[in-house]
Amino acid sequence: MWKIVVGFALFAALALYILSKGGDIDMGGEKHGEPAPIATEAEKAAPAAAASEAK
Amino acid sequence: MATAEARPMSAEEKKVIFASSLGTVFEWYDFYLYGSLAAIIAKQFFSGLDEGSAFIFALLAFAAGFIVRPFGAIFFGRLGDMIGRKYTFLVTILIMGASTFLVGILPNYASWGAAAPIILIALRLLQGLALGGEYGGAATYVAEHAPHGKRGAYTSWIQTTATLGLFLSLMVILGTRTAIGEEAFADWGWRVPFIVSILLLAVSVYIRLSMNESPAFAKMKAEGKTSKAPLSESFGEWKNLKIVILALVGLTAGQAVVWYSGQFYALFFLTQALKVDGPTANIMIAISLIIGTPFFIVFGALSDKIGRKPIILAGCFLAAITYFPVFTALTKAANPDLAAAQAAAKVTVTADPAECSFQFNPTGTKKFTSSCDIAKQKLASASVSYDNIVAPSGQAAVIKVGDTEVTTVVTPEDIAIAKAAAEAKLEALNAADPKDPKAIAAATASAKAFSGEKTAKDATFSGKLSAALKAAGYPAKADMAKFDKVSVVIILTYLVILVTMVYGPIAAMLVEMFPTRIRYTSMSLPYHIGNGWFGGLLPTTAFAIVAQTGNMYNGLWYPIIIAGATVVIGGLFIKETKDVDIYAND
Repeated sequence: MWKIVVGFALFAALALYILSKGGDIDMGGEKHGEPAPIATEAEKAAPAAAASEAK
Repeated sequence: MATAEARPMSAEEKKVIFASSLGTVFEWYDFYLYGSLAAIIAKQFFSGLDEGSAFIFALLAFAAGFIVRPFGAIFFGRLGDMIGRKYTFLVTILIMGASTFLVGILPNYASWGAAAPIILIALRLLQGLALGGEYGGAATYVAEHAPHGKRGAYTSWIQTTATLGLFLSLMVILGTRTAIGEEAFADWGWRVPFIVSILLLAVSVYIRLSMNESPAFAKMKAEGKTSKAPLSESFGEWKNLKIVILALVGLTAGQAVVWYSGQFYALFFLTQALKVDGPTANIMIAISLIIGTPFFIVFGALSDKIGRKPIILAGCFLAAITYFPVFTALTKAANPDLAAAQAAAKVTVTADPAECSFQFNPTGTKKFTSSCDIAKQKLASASVSYDNIVAPSGQAAVIKVGDTEVTTVVTPEDIAIAKAAAEAKLEALNAADPKDPKAIAAATASAKAFSGEKTAKDATFSGKLSAALKAAGYPAKADMAKFDKVSVVIILTYLVILVTMVYGPIAAMLVEMFPTRIRYTSMSLPYHIGNGWFGGLLPTTAFAIVAQTGNMYNGLWYPIIIAGATVVIGGLFIKETKDVDIYAND
């Protein structure tokens, strides 16, 4: 059992290290077409436009 | 028959668990690959399609997950009950692995035209079919090798593969991406994770070929007692069909929503509702999974002592009664400014009810374009709590943030002002020294949004709304200086532990509910319908509820109601199975 615990710990530590260095990634798994409210290009543009407008 | 005895796991039993778990690692590895690489795959295979074709492919992709998998459960379950567990789940892993590998070498739309997405979808349908038979085979095979009194502990190892599959996919994807760079990864590097899966397939097939048939099935076959018609026996006789239905609504439906909420909805909630940046949210989830994963074994083993039913139903019950306070605490720990803004700023949507839809869109093919729907989409996406006010028929929706009114009607003058502001900002950023490439990219995207009429209207409305929300104290992003990492990890770990409570003992319980002659068929279907339908529909249902009601926590009603129903139905009608002799009726 201790071998599994050590193996899992090493595997998890490596995964965590790579995750911390590797940048952004979607960990949400396979989607089936649900409308995740992720900002569209226009939405992403909006805060910038608003900020400019406010100046 | 293996009997209860206090002895350590034998080498053969370890091999059985390892061989079975490799297939489910594969299953999870694929599940995460398709999630992580969805945008790249869409660009490679679907970007050249017209709207009508894209609609059909979206439906087919939906079918691969929701319809084909349960069908695969029936198809391979039947084979498993007729010709044996060993050969059936050798076939499922071969199909699954070959499909994954072939995706990695499949030419894209630019090379093969429409044939490329057609073959991709065909491979995914084939893969979905095989996936439907994999879990039931693994659970049945391990349970039929386990000694009586240790089935919970033995089968719980299979459940840990969800975490292993995730970490494996992260290592391969991020490792490849870091090694070759973003551009090369988007161009060809995305194929590497699919291609290297051939190694996992080779090891799995090699080990599975060396395995023996499950002793229970081998004995039954030798005695000529195997079922000639597992489907009729499983679903055509009320005595067994009743148990299949109870297994679905009294166990797997609740298990699925608790699992999806604890891992996937928690991540979605952190990034989309609480505006925590993706990398931080991923690290938090990964840490909680590392801490929580051993509890699969703990609860699996505990279920051999105190029973499967109390642990699974306690997990569902705790989820149902604690989700609201726990997710509220998560907001306070991850984005306290958002919690404060929600409490302080009153937001209303005044709209004609006839224009407001329940924005349930499981296939991703519907478009909600009325002024009410757009207003609510924007507010739900910004995690704003709001009240609904009825407007006269025909009136366009109006959002009121405090005293500021934001109308969904955008005039050409509004667009001109917003466009000029976006262009001025881009110009200023380009002139600045030193240059900020990220800010320039964002400003370029902002300015580009004004090139089309529809996107210009959308950008202008979103800009006005964002400005009003910002003035009311709604943060665009979580402030990492106020982000309480320890509390977030504790909360997420609690959610993962609930997952382990419901998921750790589930395989053993499902196996023990059905006789050997129809076990594979009978247990696979409720598992895949429970997880695929009840679990898989959680994100879209939760979003629709949030947008409809104007409260970002209300999406939790979906898992709470399903988990609550499972507690009641399971509590009343499901019998404890830990002491069941699974060979009694053979």
